[in-house]
Amino acid sequence: MGEAIVITSGKGGVGKTTTTANLGTGLAHNKHKICLVDADIGLRNLDVVLGLENRIVYDLVDVVEGRCRLRQALIKDKRYDSLFLLPAAQTKEKDAVSPEQMAELMGTLKSEFDFIIVDCPAGIEQGFKNAISGADRAVIVTTPEVSAVRDADRIIGLLEAAEVYDPQLIINRLRPDMVRRGDMMDIQDIIDILAIPLVGVVPDDESIIVSSNRGEPVVLDQRSRPGQAYRNIVRRLEGLEVPFMDLEQKTVMHRLRTLFGIGGKR
Amino acid sequence: MGRGEHWTAGQPFCGARAWNEVLERFLRRGWTMTKEACVIKGNRHGLMLSVSEEASFAEILGQLREKLSAHRDFFQGAVVRLHSSAAFLSEDRVDDLAAVVHEYGMTLDRTMTLEDQRPQKQQRQKVPEFNLDDTKLIRRTIRSGQSIHYSGNVVVMGDVNAGSEIVCSGDILILGSLRGVAHAGAEGNAKAVVFAFRLEPTQLRIAHYISRAPDEKGPKPTGPELAQVVDNLIQIRPYGRFVKR
Repeated sequence: MGEAIVITSGKGGVGKTTTTANLGTGLAHNKHKICLVDADIGLRNLDVVLGLENRIVYDLVDVVEGRCRLRQALIKDKRYDSLFLLPAAQTKEKDAVSPEQMAELMGTLKSEFDFIIVDCPAGIEQGFKNAISGADRAVIVTTPEVSAVRDADRIIGLLEAAEVYDPQLIINRLRPDMVRRGDMMDIQDIIDILAIPLVGVVPDDESIIVSSNRGEPVVLDQRSRPGQAYRNIVRRLEGLEVPFMDLEQKTVMHRLRTLFGIGGKR
Repeated sequence: MGRGEHWTAGQPFCGARAWNEVLERFLRRGWTMTKEACVIKGNRHGLMLSVSEEASFAEILGQLREKLSAHRDFFQGAVVRLHSSAAFLSEDRVDDLAAVVHEYGMTLDRTMTLEDQRPQKQQRQKVPEFNLDDTKLIRRTIRSGQSIHYSGNVVVMGDVNAGSEIVCSGDILILGSLRGVAHAGAEGNAKAVVFAFRLEPTQLRIAHYISRAPDEKGPKPTGPELAQVVDNLIQIRPYGRFVKR
């Protein structure tokens, strides 16, 4: 019996889809059987980030409404045979699906996959309610911005009300240099407010945008720092203890300064 | 010295009469609740009609007519709530009041509120009306979008995050950080207090007093603090003897 994880944030544009794609790919790389579900009906883009856009024939709404069998709608990933995507409908509205239908779908998927990762739409309306129904646990994505943290807080409250307990936190797009200057909320500030366990911190990096546009998840890029961060999160989701990576960029000057003990620490 | 310099021995201050008038009027404004036979005032809940227990009932009716006719248009169609003790106003007297109020195009809400916002002298020694019996204990974090409304005190074992609110008629104790909106004494008890381990609310309200966080970021609180109304202002001070500031 598999486990359904919903990736949610409340606020839009914080990196839910990127996170879903990377965690799914990372878990599939580690030989798990994974199904990614794009619950963002009407604004789908998980397929684009995975580079599977041109293979979509049937979608989630077709499955729910019985126009096709589940097998027909699942798209196999280009790179991993154990990774599947259930795409969202682009031409339908969010209320084309009900939470009960989603829960039923999740039940079916759980019998076939190790992990089902649901990409939740932004907002707290119908789409959100659909995405969290049938979820066993939640991963909250936030960025170090007051508005994103505020929305994450709201989402945690709503998840509690919906009886999805013990959410975990991913802080996305952290810029250590800005934190050091005091221009960005630091990790501890965010954890203090949200008071949920941290499962990973992903540094802000240009490589994310490049890989999203190319349809190649950054988690596969061995040299990329966000890729490393995602690989660590994957292992933590698998239940392993992985130390948090040092986010400070180690320039030569920086290393020298630390060596001589001049202002190396922030 | 200022004004005092005008006083010369044996000679009354030239403007004394005028000054006394102003002073009297000022004083009366402050004490309308107890001095006048009947007072109509507006607050958050709407219009309130309070009657003095020291005046005769005829006096009250007379003054009520006087006041209503002076601002006939203003009161037209309004609902006014009676604010007096049940012991003083019998059923018949309430009927009389309602009739007068109705004459001027208003309706009387008969739910009587026993406690006056400004306690009478003999009541001042009484123990606070809120006791631990009507306290709600919440053992979780109150998050953005959530609100707690309770008639009584509220104790939160956890944080109260920005975007949430707690409204209650009694005291509010937060065993954690208060970052949202807290409204203690929401039914008019200005003696209510708000306590938090870290008091950094978006807004604090006690009875009808409101204060908000300063626009500039100040230093974060380092210890438990208590907010209460002192001299018509919400004042925050460190709580406990061993707090370093």
